[in-house]
Amino acid sequence: MTQTASKSRIEPAAGTIAALEGCTKRYPGVLALDNATLRIAPGEVRALLGKNGAGKSTLIRLLTGAEAPDAGTVTVDGAVLVHSGSARAQEAFGRGVRVVYQELSLVPGMSIAENLFLGRWPRQAGVLDYARMEAEAREAMQRLGLDMPPSDLVAGLSPAERQLVEIARVLLGKPKLVILDEPTSSLAAAEAEKVMAAVKRIAAEGIAVIYISHRMNEIRQIARSATVMRDGRIIDTVDVAGADTREIVRLMLGSEAAQSAALETRAHGKVILEVADLALAPKLSAVSFKLREGEVLGIAGLLGAGRTELLQAIMGVRPFDRGRISVDGKDVRRPGYRAMLDRGFGYTPESRKEEGIVPLLGVDENTVVTDFSAVSSGGVLSARRIAEATRKVVARLHVKTADTDTPIGTLSGDNQQKVVIGRWVHAGSRVLLLDEPTRGVDVEAKAQIYAIIRQLAAEGRSVIFVSSEIEELPLVCDRVLVLREGRLMEEFTSPDIDQDAVMAACIAGH
Amino acid sequence: MSNGQAIQSAAAAPRRRGFSQHMNEVSLFVAIVVLYVVFTTTANGFMSFNNQINILRDAATIGIAAWAATLIIISGEIDVSVGPMVAFISVALAYLLQWGIPTPLAFVLAIVVGAALGSIAGILRAYFDVPSFVGTLGLWSALRGTALFVTDALPVSIGRNDIVDMLDRPVLGVPPAAIIMLLLFAVFAFVSRKTAFGRSVYAIGGNPQAAFLSGINVSRIRVMLFAIAGAMAAVSGILLLSRLGSGNATAASGLEFDVIAAVVVGGTALSGGRGSMLGTLLGVLVITLIGNGLVLLGINPFFQQVVRGLIIVVAVLANIQAIKRGAARNKG
Repeated sequence: MTQTASKSRIEPAAGTIAALEGCTKRYPGVLALDNATLRIAPGEVRALLGKNGAGKSTLIRLLTGAEAPDAGTVTVDGAVLVHSGSARAQEAFGRGVRVVYQELSLVPGMSIAENLFLGRWPRQAGVLDYARMEAEAREAMQRLGLDMPPSDLVAGLSPAERQLVEIARVLLGKPKLVILDEPTSSLAAAEAEKVMAAVKRIAAEGIAVIYISHRMNEIRQIARSATVMRDGRIIDTVDVAGADTREIVRLMLGSEAAQSAALETRAHGKVILEVADLALAPKLSAVSFKLREGEVLGIAGLLGAGRTELLQAIMGVRPFDRGRISVDGKDVRRPGYRAMLDRGFGYTPESRKEEGIVPLLGVDENTVVTDFSAVSSGGVLSARRIAEATRKVVARLHVKTADTDTPIGTLSGDNQQKVVIGRWVHAGSRVLLLDEPTRGVDVEAKAQIYAIIRQLAAEGRSVIFVSSEIEELPLVCDRVLVLREGRLMEEFTSPDIDQDAVMAACIAGH
Repeated sequence: MSNGQAIQSAAAAPRRRGFSQHMNEVSLFVAIVVLYVVFTTTANGFMSFNNQINILRDAATIGIAAWAATLIIISGEIDVSVGPMVAFISVALAYLLQWGIPTPLAFVLAIVVGAALGSIAGILRAYFDVPSFVGTLGLWSALRGTALFVTDALPVSIGRNDIVDMLDRPVLGVPPAAIIMLLLFAVFAFVSRKTAFGRSVYAIGGNPQAAFLSGINVSRIRVMLFAIAGAMAAVSGILLLSRLGSGNATAASGLEFDVIAAVVVGGTALSGGRGSMLGTLLGVLVITLIGNGLVLLGINPFFQQVVRGLIIVVAVLANIQAIKRGAARNKG
């Protein structure tokens, strides 16, 4: 059954554990999946690439039995899924299909072992059997290289460790196919290594893995082949080792080729922000730098290097111990968040869901919230002006939304992020501090965010751009500062921002 | 380019969202019609002019406090101090009048005192992270206690006072309390939809952290909300005084629950971020109609509470189901 003609350049290794054969899925108005064929071998790590909306989620939903295809078959572990409705999902689950989603679903106040068995804790005579629970938990954790006691609280774990606990939970059910949906999107490079090492381990056990990620360098490390999707179709499955990154990006984007944000070097204006000897124990020590008008300043560093703390200290959200911040040559005497906004600063937080958006409110109100007075007359909000201001931001940042008053919670993460940046464009901020603005954002949206940052700089605004994806820094920044363990270690200036050198500066000493 | 098209095509698409957005109000309106039909056919004198005026007057007691409570609940907070606040203000006002303070000035003082007392809970919430339930529970107990202690639970008479009497004299058959309630409704509906303050309340309830980072002065708005609630309770206290002709420490008992019930029946989410003034207006009518109808039906007062509890839960349940169905239809 696996010997039908396949477009893929790589033949299935030894048999097939899961397969879609000619699957089509249509939702009202959308052809979500168009005649897709995909075969995964046991022990294979298959990368799944595509911008948001390319059909990756639909493909996953077919594999997990959450949906049945309109045409075509889904085969798991040697048998075609036949049921419909919720029985279908149980069928796929019973055959060993598991998904680890991006959004973590752990209870921080409970132990690792309790989390692994959440809701189906082993019992003996009605009493929880902790001995058995922890023994089985330890076994699953060891398979992933997690070596802390299973009785430790999840609250004390790093983000990467939490992600591994999620994977361990899935391992308890003896899976045949594990689907990982952007498992590293919220992790810094060094942390992501742990997750990738764990993925290699479970693949070595013969478990098939589908790995969704936007990070090409990760995919190169763990996957042999990558399936690229676009507009509901499987475009190609390429041999990762032999494929050029630009080639893969071209496959993902199709005709709308990646815009390269070519940097024109030019003289920057006067110093707008000066930070001198800023210290915030134990996160930052003696950080000094200047930011000029029209300059994009990148800040690189691993998770925990103090990047977020630096931005928050500048914005007055987090009090600092020592040091001086001056804006336009004048010392900021009593730093406070609202005072910084009044000075023309804007800040987008790292976690846009938790701190960035008000999900129930429309795109419009999420945009104009930074400056209501610009859309009011005589203290009364004007619906017309709100719509106009929103349309401006929507057009400028390429936000895809049905309407200006669509609740922002219903938009994709990419578009939410654009609105969170756009609200400072609405406010007319002249200095933007962006904390990981491209995290979890697809390739196309990333290119758009780079372009908008460059445009803002060309208008004379200044941007501080924090990123843990080092490959994007040379695309956007005039200058990059490397932060390591709370200190500024090195400075790179465009066009001499070398990825490898930046990476080395980030991790030196580790 | 592509986004411009997206907006245009969406504008051309049928706008079904409009209806489902108002699903809540529509289903409440149906509930009110049903209540009218049921009570008209079963309760003697329900449709009489006098009784309809009574309903309006009773609605005012709940309504004025409920407008402010709606904003508080949308912002993700709660105020349980309404009943004691109303009673306390009526007592305080009665004393002010007894001491010969000019009536208009006494009214202003009463409202200022109400706002100041309310802002205590707001300050505790905004600057000291004391949950608003706890802060207002403290007020609930302390205000009722103070009023009872000072008056020994006896009414504080104010004697003859033309201005106070005027507040209880119908204008063209309509009690001033009802007119004040409707005027305040218009103000609150306007503020909630058309001012930066009102939209900030929604933003804070929807995500306080995002609201703060967007530059909204979250703490100040929280204090203002509770100050407004205190002021509205004071207005109710003034009307209570004019109705009873005395300050009364035992009055308005359990009013806070009627107020919260009206807001919740009106479709405002207790978790914050979602709700509307129109919904609360309809919720106030539902709660008032139930109270009025059950009395007219001559149902045992103890048993009335059982029926009321049931109706409130069923109303909210039906409302949630209707919204869910509307959302599902909207998707499909």
